[in-house]
Amino acid sequence: MLTGYQRATGKWGFRNHVLILPLHQMLSAIARDIESSAPGCVAVSHDWAQLPEKDQDRILHTISGVPANPNLFVTIALRLGTPIEGQLLQMARAKGATNIIEVSLSEEKSLNQLRDTTNKIALEQLALAAKQERTPAPISAINLGLECGGSDAYSGITANPALGVASDKLVEQGATSILAETMEILGAEHLLAKRAITRQIGQQIIDVVTRYEKSITYEGIDIRGAQPSRGNIEGGLSTLEEKSLGAAKKAGNAQFTGVLEFADQPTAAGLYFMDTPGHDIEQLTAFASAGVNITVFTTGRGTPTGSAVMPTIKIATNTEMAIALADLIDMNSGTISDGTQSLEENGMQIYDLIIKVANGQLTKAEIGGHHEFNLSRLYGSTL
Amino acid sequence: MSITGFNHPGRGVGIRDHQLILPSVVCSTHISRKIATQVSAITFAHQNGCAIIGQDVSGIDNFFIALANHPNVQSTLVVSLGCETTQGPELLPKIDQKQSDLLVIQDSGGAAATYEKGVELATNLRSANPSTKATLDKLIVGLDISGSMDTDQLQKALTDANFQVEVATDNSTANLANLMRAKAHLIISFPDENQPPTGLPLIPVINIASNSPLHTALINEFDLPNNFEVNQLLELINQVANGQKTKSELSGIGEIIAPRLVRST
Repeated sequence: MLTGYQRATGKWGFRNHVLILPLHQMLSAIARDIESSAPGCVAVSHDWAQLPEKDQDRILHTISGVPANPNLFVTIALRLGTPIEGQLLQMARAKGATNIIEVSLSEEKSLNQLRDTTNKIALEQLALAAKQERTPAPISAINLGLECGGSDAYSGITANPALGVASDKLVEQGATSILAETMEILGAEHLLAKRAITRQIGQQIIDVVTRYEKSITYEGIDIRGAQPSRGNIEGGLSTLEEKSLGAAKKAGNAQFTGVLEFADQPTAAGLYFMDTPGHDIEQLTAFASAGVNITVFTTGRGTPTGSAVMPTIKIATNTEMAIALADLIDMNSGTISDGTQSLEENGMQIYDLIIKVANGQLTKAEIGGHHEFNLSRLYGSTL
Repeated sequence: MSITGFNHPGRGVGIRDHQLILPSVVCSTHISRKIATQVSAITFAHQNGCAIIGQDVSGIDNFFIALANHPNVQSTLVVSLGCETTQGPELLPKIDQKQSDLLVIQDSGGAAATYEKGVELATNLRSANPSTKATLDKLIVGLDISGSMDTDQLQKALTDANFQVEVATDNSTANLANLMRAKAHLIISFPDENQPPTGLPLIPVINIASNSPLHTALINEFDLPNNFEVNQLLELINQVANGQKTKSELSGIGEIIAPRLVRST
């Protein structure tokens, strides 16, 4: 049975986190301090300094989605006291964030006082969050994020198609599943477009990839020179197209019901494609902002990263790495190429693990305290 | 004015004796933070090292090298994941190797083993290379200016005091990076009136307030008020260069941000 926390918006969360969200890079250190002094809190750091930049709207959109994520019991927003922060928090409330507590440096007058006040609030909120109980949730409560990083030659034949089996089953049962990483469907977009429920949505998939290629060639760069990455090549991948064909397998065989812009929330159940960078953490951050409440992350080379907001399940594509980096990996799909498990069996094992983790079982990334958080920019950070 | 700093072979004489735990990629930032906390080193969260293209590949490389070779650094431990674009094993030879080391997560048996090995390597880097005191001949002072501030008089006073002066006038994020690259031992920052006081874990920053409502509210977080006297500043520089902590060093605020020119892939 699936259980979770239903929020005022009707959406379900699978964690009941107290998040410390700094709204300026200089407040990131305070957020980290609270994570240590009020154990159980989760905090993020980022580099936004509220300075004028071309990507301001994208950054406001990204950060403002986070407090609306249903895995959060409350967001404690650390402010300087500037108008743009007010705008950001208004956007967050419009996206469904109902529980935000603001602590302002201008009002607290000093960083020490800000730290003390935030710490006191965090401890109070942790106690309140602990009193909330899980209730039975429908499968449609699941908003699954599909991710891969550090791919190797096994990714496309083991973990990714096995995750596709789990995703297909969840979508069939009324859940939402989101494939992303535009760079990683480049070369496979025509196959995904054919699976769209309408010709128009298929065209949107093609358009997003075309737009992406233009944004890179605008910089005078051939993406095929930078991808697959060196780590991918060492892992046995030959071309970007091979990487993409494998990456797209995470979305199984279901039909695509829609295309989402970066960090946009899906409005109905189904399988979506979201336009995000392939950068693992920029993508995870987009998922957190879009309301994804659980993520499955397949990896060939092994990576420790995770999210402050969403449990992030790591699936190894090969047994060798699953053993070598055991404390980074939640499940192994290398059994498929080893011949000891069928694709279907392994896929159902992923499905079962998603339910267990949704019900509260901690992932390796959660145990390790991984709370990476990166803002995605389309332009340079100094423009 | 005499400044006693730390002799850091290959890096120069610094006014701080920091050990740097340098994550070569976002994926190793968290383990780096755990190691740094344990051994009282400095580190930073960032999003670079992978999914970077074009000018950013060499740009990030050079930024990391400049950090690792800054005179305020005693030693550097590079923590790499193993499959990223900015490969740790290639980064290491570009850094002063006498007091630097490398750790690769994917070759170390996972998170816990990497952490333990990292603490050991960092501790060894410290104990094998004890810093000796040294006199600093020429303090490099960075000026972080945003907007159109006239600093001619200030620059003259600093130059007359026998300091080398480096000036950066873009925005605060780029300024701090540029002053770090210029090997500034110490930075004097005049934050924009809507910006908070700033900090940089590697380099002490003296923050000088404006008259804005935000700065007035936060005046206790600034090292000097808007109406400071030049002699007051010179005296403070002397104290900070000789080890006194600035307000932002005490509060611990400040990130290290590498400027990026191109989007991530």
